[in-house]
Parts: sequence; structure tokens; C-alpha cells
Amino acid sequence: MTASASESTTPAADVAAFWDAIDAELAATPANPETFEIPLYSTEFSTTYRVRFTSIGHYRIAAYISVPHGDGPFPALLSVPGYASVVTPPQYEDRQRYVVMTLMYRGTRGADWPYAGAFPGMFTDGIADPEAWIYRGVLADHLRGLEVLASHPKVDAARVGLIGNDVALLIAARRPEVSAVAVTANHFHRLWDVARATEAYPFEEINDYLRTYPGDADAVRQALSLVDPGAQASRVGATTLVSVNEDGKVGDTAWWSSLTDGIAGAVDCYAATHEGQTDRDAIDAWLANQLGSDPNPRIWTPEDLGPWS
Amino acid sequence: MTLVPSAPLPALPAAPKMRPSKPSPRVCLVPPVSPSPCITERPCPVTTLLRPARRGRPDQFQSSVHKPADFDAFWAEVEAELAATPLDPEFAPVPMRSTPEVEVFEVHYTSLDGVRIAGWYCRPREAYIAGPYPGLAIVPGYVSEPTLPKSWAKMGYAAFGVAPRGKLRSNRQFNPGYPGLLIQNIVDPQTYSYRGFYADAARAIDVLAELPEVVGDRIGVHGSSQGGALTLSTAALRKANVACGAAGAPYLTGFMDAAKLTHSYPYEEMNEYLRLYPERETAMRDTVAYFDCLNFAPSITAPMLVYAGHNDDVCPPETAYNLVDALTNCEVTFHTYDRCGHDAGNYWEMAAVEAFLAEHLRPTTPNAGLRAQTTVG
Repeated sequence: MTASASESTTPAADVAAFWDAIDAELAATPANPETFEIPLYSTEFSTTYRVRFTSIGHYRIAAYISVPHGDGPFPALLSVPGYASVVTPPQYEDRQRYVVMTLMYRGTRGADWPYAGAFPGMFTDGIADPEAWIYRGVLADHLRGLEVLASHPKVDAARVGLIGNDVALLIAARRPEVSAVAVTANHFHRLWDVARATEAYPFEEINDYLRTYPGDADAVRQALSLVDPGAQASRVGATTLVSVNEDGKVGDTAWWSSLTDGIAGAVDCYAATHEGQTDRDAIDAWLANQLGSDPNPRIWTPEDLGPWS
Repeated sequence: MTLVPSAPLPALPAAPKMRPSKPSPRVCLVPPVSPSPCITERPCPVTTLLRPARRGRPDQFQSSVHKPADFDAFWAEVEAELAATPLDPEFAPVPMRSTPEVEVFEVHYTSLDGVRIAGWYCRPREAYIAGPYPGLAIVPGYVSEPTLPKSWAKMGYAAFGVAPRGKLRSNRQFNPGYPGLLIQNIVDPQTYSYRGFYADAARAIDVLAELPEVVGDRIGVHGSSQGGALTLSTAALRKANVACGAAGAPYLTGFMDAAKLTHSYPYEEMNEYLRLYPERETAMRDTVAYFDCLNFAPSITAPMLVYAGHNDDVCPPETAYNLVDALTNCEVTFHTYDRCGHDAGNYWEMAAVEAFLAEHLRPTTPNAGLRAQTTVG
């Protein structure tokens, strides 16, 4: 079954209901943030804090926030976490330009009480029931993180960006204050199809689950369709960059088109070179331009002997 | 995440345009550099950004690393402690992660200080590929959890994904966190985090070598970043068993030099520590010398593949060149990739890694089209 067919099994009203309920639960849950300065992770140009705050289910999650010195306002950047147990403080280059957050969602280190995620295993924990799936809470945590970041007094509310996998598009779909999104990898878009076409983790977790519980296939497909950003693309008003693979591969332009064609805001597609630093610098430059900041490239050559500090 | 599709995706019907009047996305066929015709020009505030340190040619970088006079004695003491510690391996089948081709086991064994270490052991089913099998230890990066090496097992290896102390499932007795591991007791070599961590990786070879289905002298080691470092330290500490190693973007190589060349984690942990405690630099330098892969390198005798990105901000390429120079007693293949960072060119290099390991370990791979999951640090 193709992704488009599976999407068609989930009425738009169900997607809306799933996400509206998350938003309502968040709205009824005070964030109650606590902020702690961390001198070890602070620099001559920025101060880093650890913030703890509450998400749905009265779950206490956490984040690092780095704030540039000065009055601001500064553009804000949420570095959308991947599927991994560890979240590090924001990158040095980002701390110079943005009020930047790295988020510890429930299950990851720093937010692993009372729920400690297993890697592998967390991805499919409760997946057959969207209301019980751990990712319902995880996605709410992302929205709550964005809210906490955007409410920082030094943030320019007109310049809020996201970078990371396509969870960023889910956040942008639900939070119109996001003005720019750089999507560097797929995670939830057409995930059912992706899992069927690979044995690589973390997608293989879906296959492991379905081998063990074949009777849950329809329920899993239903759950995945609720979190496919394609289902909410029309709500994304932010300017968006999507990193695309070469034609014929997962993540090529045609593969993304079922999502990008629906995005309400302007869309740029970046043709990935797979040279890690080339791609990083290009996406960094795009995002900096969108957020009214400066690119901060990492590529150097032996000829780069200019007056660098 | 890196995605390695093993089969083409089903064709997707053309998606209906939600707003037919909307122009198609702009596709940049050439990666944009700022300014770019792909990028909307906007006024930017004038700021002074701190840039990377002035760099010369990486192959001309002079390492500052010195080998402690008692380096060998230090590690002989560790080995003596390990020899007195029963391995006590336990293998628990994991049916949920197993496939018709590969059996998966969760493993625990005992290492230095009595710490129980976890891992994933994946071996081909007899009906799929008859044993014995060459062994392959997959050693993890700094922040990543060890993945299940099922793709390697499907290619004919008895593959072991190691979770040294501090990783999930190995952190009940030792849990410095991330950031944290790199600087845990970094002023005292006898209690420094990597003393046990290196031992845990070496002990994974002992676990593999004891298995009846594994050819004990055909065991390889592979990893990138911290996995690259563990490949090197393990090849040095387990010369009798390790037949080859493939090390990507080697970390823990020229610690002090590397930290001065970057502001990216994990080395940035050292810079942060020294910003607060500059008076401890000498003690730090003295400690990390016992754990520097440049000091393990001369004792490695197995063939090694090393690969690196010329623009790696995490593990500076200068230290990879220093490493290759220090590998004086083994056959070395060195691949570098321009404009690549900590990925170390893995988009292209994985095929070379597979070929290198196959050449030296000689697995019975049933299908030449099989590919390993891309190794990340």
C-alpha cells in the first residue's frame, strides 16, 4: 500500500482532532518553567541555561537555551532533536546568532523520569493506540518547547526558525509564529513506505513491531498517518527549505512533492550533495538569511588565511 | 538520521496540487553559497562572528602529543585487572528484533571495576548462512546509542554492537552523562572515564572470541568518531584477535590539539572546562596522553582503513593525518573527502568499508547486493 493510499484511510477530521486535542491539553497545562544558568556551557558572547518545564500529562521535560549577550531582540532557533537519547547544548556557531534551544523530550536523557526511553524501542512504544503512543507526548513536548523559546523576552517574535527533521513541519503547522523552517531529513513523512523499503534503524523498529504484532498493521498505519506532516502541510505558512536527495531515491524531489506542494508558504528545495559540510553551510546560510542573521560557514581551506579571530 | 533504502519505494501517484496556482519549489542544482540566486536577499545585521582558527594544510600539522614513559605499564595494569575479572557473558534472545535471516541477542558481560556492559549480538541463522563466521565489533560514537548490527550479520558476520559504560543499558553503575563523559576525572588517569570505556570495548573482542561459531583470529572492529577511536584502541589492546579495523573520523586522537582547533562538541567540553579551570591544563594534558590514539597507533599491527573529512569540525582532519603518520607497524589505507565534515564522506566510503572488511575477514555473503547500515559517529 502506498503512502498516499494510507493517508486516504485517515480522514482529515481525524488528523485535526488528534492535534487539536494535543493543543487543548497543552493550553490547559501551565509550563511553569524553571531556569538555571550553566557557567560551564556559557561563553564570552552567550549565556547558556538549562530550563525545565511541563508538557502534557504533567510531564517535566527540559531544554538548553543559549542567549546572546546584549539587549536583543534576537532571532530564535529551535534545533529539532532527532531520534536519539542524548541532547547536547546548542552549537557554538548558533549561540553567537540566535536565542537557540536544544530540546530534551520525554524519554531522552535529561527528561527520562518517569519514562526512560529505550533505543531501539521507544519509537514504537504504544504505537497501536495513538492516544497511548509515547510519540503523542513527544510531539506535544516539541510544541511546548517552541512555546517556551518563543516567549523568551530577548526573542524577536517575527524571526523564529526551526532546523532539523520533518518534525519541524509539524511544529510549524501548529504554531504560526514560526517564520522559517529548514528540513534536513525525513522522519515522519511517508514513514509507512519508508519502513517497508529499508532495514535501517530507527525505521526498522516499525518492521520489528509488525513482525511481532502483524495484527496491528492497520493501527500502526493509522498512527503514522496522524503524524505525517503532509497531512497538515496547508497549515505551514513559514518559508520552508527541504533538503532533497538525487532523483530515484527516498527523499528526492518527487518523493517530497506530496508534502511540499501543499505547503502554504514559499518552498525552496536544496539538492543535497552529501558532502556534510557543504550541505551544512548551505542550509545554515539559507536559514540565516531567512532569520535576518549572518551565515556562519564551517568550511575552510588551506587558502583561508584571512584575519580570522 | 541516515536512510539506507534496501529496496525501491513503491511509486507514488502524482499528488494533487492543493493550490494549482502556486509556483513549483525552486530547486538548487548547485548547492547555494551565500549570496545565492536561490536565496532571497535580506538585510542582515552587521555582527562579528567568531570564525574557525586560522588553518594550514592538515597534512603539515605538527602534533603536540607525547607518549608517557609508563604508557605500556599503565595499560598492562589495566589488562591485569581485566584478567582477574571473570567475563561472565549472558546472551538473551530478542525475538522481536530477530528476522528470518538474523538472530538477535542482548548481551551483558563484566568489565573493569565490575561494571556490567551491554551489547547487541547479531548472527546469521544457520539455515541462512552456515557457520563459522568472522566476528565484527561495531563500536559506537560519543552520543549515539549502539545500533543493532543486523545488516552486518545479514552479510555473514557475527556482529556485536557494544555499549560501553555510560551508554544506555550500561549506565547503572557509571553515568557521567553527555556532555560529561569526556571530562569525567580528566585530571587523573587512574580514574579517567576512558580507562574503563576502552577496556569495555576491548572486552567485547573477548566475548566474540569465546563464541564457538566465531573464527577467533578473524575479528574486525569498525566505528566512526568515538567508534573510530575505539577501533584503534581495541586493535592495539587485542592484537591477537583483531584482524583488521576500519576507523572513520577518529576521535580521541590528539586530544589537546583537537580541542584547540574546534568549538564543536565533544572536544568543546575540554575548552569549557579550561575556561573555568585554566590552571588544570597540565593535569589534563598529562591524563589524556594515556588515552590518546596517537600513542596506541604504533602498537597496532592489523591492517587499518582510516577515513576523514577535510572539513570535519568535530574531529579535526589534522589529527587524522597525525594518526596515519603514527600507524607505523601496519598496512594503512587512508581516504579523505574534501568539503565533508564529521560524516567523513560516509555516503561514498561505506562501500569501501564493506570491501575492506570483506577482504580481510572473508564472510560468506549470500547476496552481493546487500549493504550495511551507514556508520555514523
